[in-house]
Amino acid sequence: MLWRTLRSAALARAILISLAAFGALGAWAPWVQDGGPPAPAWAVALRLDHPFSSPWFLAGVAALFASTFACTWGRRGRIAAVRRGELPGTALRLEGDGAALRRFLEDQGFAGAGPVLRRHGLALWGGWVLHVGLLVLIAGVLLQQVLHDGGTFVLTEGEVRSLRDPGAVFQVERGPLAPAQPPDLSVLLERFDPERKQAGYAPDRLSQLRLTGEGGRERRATIDRASGVDVDGVVIHQAIRTGLSLTLEIAGMGTRAVALQKRTAHEASAEVRDQGGRAARFVVTTERALDDPRGPGQLLVRLERGGETTFLTSGAPFDFGGPPTRTTGVRRWGSFTYDRSPGLPAVLAGFAIILLGCALLVFPAGVAVLPAGGEAGQAAVHVLRGAAVLEGDWRALTAGSAPAGPPG
Amino acid sequence: MQSLLFWAAVTAYALATAGFFLGLAFEQPAWRRAAHLVALAGLAPHAAVIGLRWAEVGHGPYNTRYEVLSFQAFLLVAAWGLLALRSANVRSLGVLVLPVAFLLMGFSVSTFGLKKEVPIIFKSWWLVLHIGFAKLFGVSILLAACTAGAFLWRRRRPGALPSLPSQARLDLYAHQFLLSAFLFLGVMIAAGALWANQSWGRYWGWDPIETTSLVTWIAFGVILHFRVLHRWEGARMAWLTLVALAFALVTLYVVAVMVPTIHNSYMVGS
Repeated sequence: MLWRTLRSAALARAILISLAAFGALGAWAPWVQDGGPPAPAWAVALRLDHPFSSPWFLAGVAALFASTFACTWGRRGRIAAVRRGELPGTALRLEGDGAALRRFLEDQGFAGAGPVLRRHGLALWGGWVLHVGLLVLIAGVLLQQVLHDGGTFVLTEGEVRSLRDPGAVFQVERGPLAPAQPPDLSVLLERFDPERKQAGYAPDRLSQLRLTGEGGRERRATIDRASGVDVDGVVIHQAIRTGLSLTLEIAGMGTRAVALQKRTAHEASAEVRDQGGRAARFVVTTERALDDPRGPGQLLVRLERGGETTFLTSGAPFDFGGPPTRTTGVRRWGSFTYDRSPGLPAVLAGFAIILLGCALLVFPAGVAVLPAGGEAGQAAVHVLRGAAVLEGDWRALTAGSAPAGPPG
Repeated sequence: MQSLLFWAAVTAYALATAGFFLGLAFEQPAWRRAAHLVALAGLAPHAAVIGLRWAEVGHGPYNTRYEVLSFQAFLLVAAWGLLALRSANVRSLGVLVLPVAFLLMGFSVSTFGLKKEVPIIFKSWWLVLHIGFAKLFGVSILLAACTAGAFLWRRRRPGALPSLPSQARLDLYAHQFLLSAFLFLGVMIAAGALWANQSWGRYWGWDPIETTSLVTWIAFGVILHFRVLHRWEGARMAWLTLVALAFALVTLYVVAVMVPTIHNSYMVGS
């Protein structure tokens, strides 16, 4: 009973329409748009604040998988039988002389030496291949999601960080079977230009990285937002966010970069704790807008702590609650992402099989069985589409006139 | 110079449209043949103006409403014109195809003077596949809709335009074009996903156009199910083909104009 329900065309149609409707509503919901309002309470209560990871959508995809599986199962034998010439009862019947029928069908693209003629015989499998591709894709996406992990990190020009350093990566997404830790990869940002002009394209980010992977293997790469770099299965991409960064030199501890966040068009700041653990705030005010392609111009750097404000000069030491500290400059930070996605080939296989099925569907497949012995009789013809045209052309031919068509 | 070539192409399509209407109304096959040739001749200045703009801005026709729609019209006329060289049946569809091309040109000219640099993420070979198949998808669904429209016209007034192909043949053509559109949309989505993976490390991000493309592909799947499983054909399928066109137009043009998306640049109009 359940199997019969799963195989029913009505269920398949209902699932597809539901998924399409859900997708359309999900894509247009105001709270999923960039800069849109927060999700309303009813959407949160129904777990629709993130529509495409909601249980409703996942249940729909699971139902699609089950329905597709049931519809595809057992169909292979029927297609193979049609290909052998065991045609369904709905096959078209054309009456006439065997030789004339053969000539007519050959003109229509059918071919074969025996009584069974085929037109694009492989294309009979188009629908089946497409459905298998859907199954592979859904399974592939599941596998990819389970194994995938990724995150974001920021680097200031000249700064080196290991992705495993505490707090180095944020906005981490991790599948249930993904590695528990970020990859063992250290990244040095050698050069960063947030407004690099490349011929033919609008100015955009460009970074030169030195990456050191497991076993100390080192690699240099220049990346932009068009493509990333793959190091031992970890792909590093340039992200779009950037900002100013204050570099501090702390005696005995080396240099530290403090990434500042934009607060106004001309001001960026960062909340920190000083060496003594007190809350402090670095603020940089700029002459030109922070995003000005010419650069920010003159800078004013100040430290706000406990109601006091100290203006900082590059190279001059200041009290930071511990060892002597000084600023060595204001630079740019760039943002990057890392991704590990060992399940991706399964997704790509799904895409490839689906497209193969779609391509096969375009060919007008058919199988014809001629009367035995080439004598007059009835030919059975099964075509995936165009039966009425084929029948009309045969009738027109046997009636002695050319198939209907305009004169020009 | 570009303006002159553009208007030469528009004029050719307008003349060809008039030729087809008159040729069908007065049952003059010679006029239709002449109109076909005029439309094909219009492709020459059209290709030239596309090439000149390409050379001027340094990128292909995929980054403003003018470039996108004008190139879409070019491909539509070229695809129909070439198919029509092989089949008089397809040639008669010019009466529906050419007005569509004319309208696309008219809509595109509103941003003729707009020239913009493309973002750096366009530095990818996936762009060629993604956009190329988007164009083929657009052409295929427009041809499917024109054929479905011709079917409905023929059905309502069987004797009015005897030069159009038979209803059964129009139904078959519409189905064939719809299947091609289904394939091309699938390739467009897959190429876009691979491109996104190359640029951002994720093949799917539920961007409004990504999602709408998927919804459209599913809608096409539903429509094809009606045809294949339930043997729907004729007028019902013709209407569903027009529904498919509506989905395609929303995917290709409406979302990019109305909703913030990573695809806004290709329909930018100001």
